[in-house]
Amino acid sequence: MSEGALPASESLTAHRLPERSFRQSMAWLHEWFGLVPGWVLFLVFLFGTTAFFQQEISGWMRPELRAGGDVTSGALHNIGVTLSPKAPDAGFWGLVLPSPRGGDAIRASWQPRDDSSGEAGEAAFDPATGAEITMRDTRGGWFLYRFHFDLHYMPWWLARYIVCIAALAMLVAILSGIVTHKKIFADFFLLRFGKGQRSWLDAHNVTGVLALPFHLMMTYTGLVALLFHMMPWAVAANFQSEEAFYKAAFPQDTVEASGKPAPVAPLPVLIAQAERLWGASPSFVAISHPGDAASVATLYPLRDALGSNPAPLRLNAVTGAMLNGTTSPGAARATEGVMIQLHAGWFAGPVLRWLYFLAGVGGTVMIATGLVLWTVKRRAKLPDPTRPHFGFRLVERLNIGVIAGSFAGLAVYFLSNRLLPLDMAQRADWEINNLFIAWGALFVWTLARPAKRAWVEALAVCAALYALVPVVNALTTSRGLIPSLIARDWIFVGFDSVMLAMAAMCALAAWKVAAHKPKATPRRKAHELAGAAA
Amino acid sequence: MMDFSIFLLSLAGFASLLLAMPRHQTDWVGRKLSVRFGYTLRLSGFAALVLAFAIACVGFGWAYGAVVWFGWLTVAAALIVTAHTNRERIMRRTRR
Repeated sequence: MSEGALPASESLTAHRLPERSFRQSMAWLHEWFGLVPGWVLFLVFLFGTTAFFQQEISGWMRPELRAGGDVTSGALHNIGVTLSPKAPDAGFWGLVLPSPRGGDAIRASWQPRDDSSGEAGEAAFDPATGAEITMRDTRGGWFLYRFHFDLHYMPWWLARYIVCIAALAMLVAILSGIVTHKKIFADFFLLRFGKGQRSWLDAHNVTGVLALPFHLMMTYTGLVALLFHMMPWAVAANFQSEEAFYKAAFPQDTVEASGKPAPVAPLPVLIAQAERLWGASPSFVAISHPGDAASVATLYPLRDALGSNPAPLRLNAVTGAMLNGTTSPGAARATEGVMIQLHAGWFAGPVLRWLYFLAGVGGTVMIATGLVLWTVKRRAKLPDPTRPHFGFRLVERLNIGVIAGSFAGLAVYFLSNRLLPLDMAQRADWEINNLFIAWGALFVWTLARPAKRAWVEALAVCAALYALVPVVNALTTSRGLIPSLIARDWIFVGFDSVMLAMAAMCALAAWKVAAHKPKATPRRKAHELAGAAA
Repeated sequence: MMDFSIFLLSLAGFASLLLAMPRHQTDWVGRKLSVRFGYTLRLSGFAALVLAFAIACVGFGWAYGAVVWFGWLTVAAALIVTAHTNRERIMRRTRR
C-alpha cells in the first residue's frame, strides 16, 4: 500500500505544517464537532437503527400476541359490538390499529361524555379474533424509537434541543470529514478492513464513506423532522400561539351531539369506506359522540407510502358518508413529509428495511470507531502514556461507558421483558429502568478497571447478555428459536438470530481488543518527526 | 428478483470501476491494462450502475427505486472493498 493511501487527516497531523491549511482546519473541525456530540449521536444512531424494526421488536416483546398485524373485519365487528356496552357513557372512542407488520394489539380507549358520570378506560383486542386480550405491560420498540429523539429521564423539549444540536454538529462533521478525506473517489478502493494498527481508522473510513448517502440523508432529514423545534420563528411570527398554528395547519371541527340516539355503523364498514376512498388502511380511528345521530368518525391513514399519504378523512359515523373532501397538502408540507418518510423508512418493504438497518449499523459503527479513533490518535502523542491528562481520560472513559454500556443496556431491556414478573406494578417502566441500571452499573465497573481491560470485559459482558436473550426467550416462552423455525415465524427467528449475531460481534470485538498489541513504531516515528521539526 | 439484479449490476459496476484504475490493475491482473481497455472498463462500470438505477426505477417507481438503489450500492461497494482488502488471500486460493 502506498503512502498516498494515508488519509489527509493522519498525514497532516504528523507533519505539523506551520500554517493551518484549509484542509487542516477542516480536520480540526471534524475531530471536535465529531467528538463533543459524539456520545449523543452514538445513542441516536444505535436506538434509531433499532427503530427500523420497531414493530418487529414490539412483536417479540409481546409474545402473547400470536397473530401478525392483519386486522380481520370479523375482529373489527366484534370490537364495535363489545365497545358499546363496555363504555355506555362514552363521548369519544379511539381505536389504534396495528400496522400490517404487527407488533401490537388493537387498542381501544374511551372517554366519558362531559355530562355523564362514566369513566375513561382502555382495552386491547386480538387483531385476528377481536377477543379482549391481556398482554405483558411493555413499551416495546416504541420506547427505542422515542428514545432516539426524546431521550429519557428528562423533559422531551430539552432532549430534542440536545439531539438537534448534536445533529447540526454531525452535519458539520460529515461535511468537514469529506473535505478531510480528500480523494474520496480516487482512493475509494483503498479503503480497507482490519489491517494492523490502522484498523480503527479503516473501519471509520469504510463505514463513513460507503454509507455516506445514508448518513447525509439521515442527518439532514432528522433535522427536518425536528424543524419546528429548532426554528420556531416562522410559526411564532405568524401565529399567536402554537395551538393557533396547529389549528390552522390541521383544521379540526368540533362536533356537537344532537341528542338523538343512533347506533354507530359497524366498524368494518367505516374502515372499508376509508380504504376505498384512500387506497390505504387507517392507523387511528376517532369516533366522537358514539351512539348519537351527529357522531363523526375521523380516520387517520397509515403512513406507509413514500410521497403521497392521504389526508385524514371525516365520515358520518352512522351512515359512513364522507363529510370532507380529500385535501392535498401544500408543496412545502409534502416535501417535509417525504423527508420524514425517507428518515423513518416506514414505507420500506422487507429487503429495503434490512438495507436501512445495515446502513444504520454502519452509521453506529462509524460514530463508535470515530470516538475511539480520537483517543487512539492521541495516545501515541501523550507525553507520558501511562498517566494521560484529564481530558484524555474523560474521553476514554466516556467511550467505554457509553458505547459498551448502552449496548449492554439494550440487551438488558430485552431480557427484562422476559424476566420481570408479569403482574408487576409499572412493569413497562421497570423494563426501561433496568436498561439504565445495567448501563450505569457497567459504566461504574469500567471506571474501576484499566482502559484495555475495561473494553474487553465490557464487550464480553455485552456478548454474554446478547447470547442470553434467545436462551431466556426459549425458557420463558413457547416461542424459542427452534419452535419458531419450525413454525416459520420469521419475526421471532429474525430477532433471535440478530441477538446471536450481536453476541458474536461483541465476542469478536472483545477478542480483537484483548489480542491487540500496541506497536511501538508509531510513537517512535512521531517522536522522530517532532525532533526533526524542532 | 428485482433486488438481486440491482445488486448484481452494482457489484459488476464497482468491480469494473476497480479494475479501471491502473494502480489496482497490477494488484489483480499482475500488469497494467491498456489505456483503452481501462477506459472501456470505466465506462461499462458506470453504465452498469446507471442500468441498475434504471431497473430500480422501472421496477419500484423512481422514488422507492432510488432509495433501494442507494442501499444496494452501499452493500455492493462494501463487498468489493472487502474483497479488495483480502485480495492476497483470494488470489492464493484461486491460484492453487
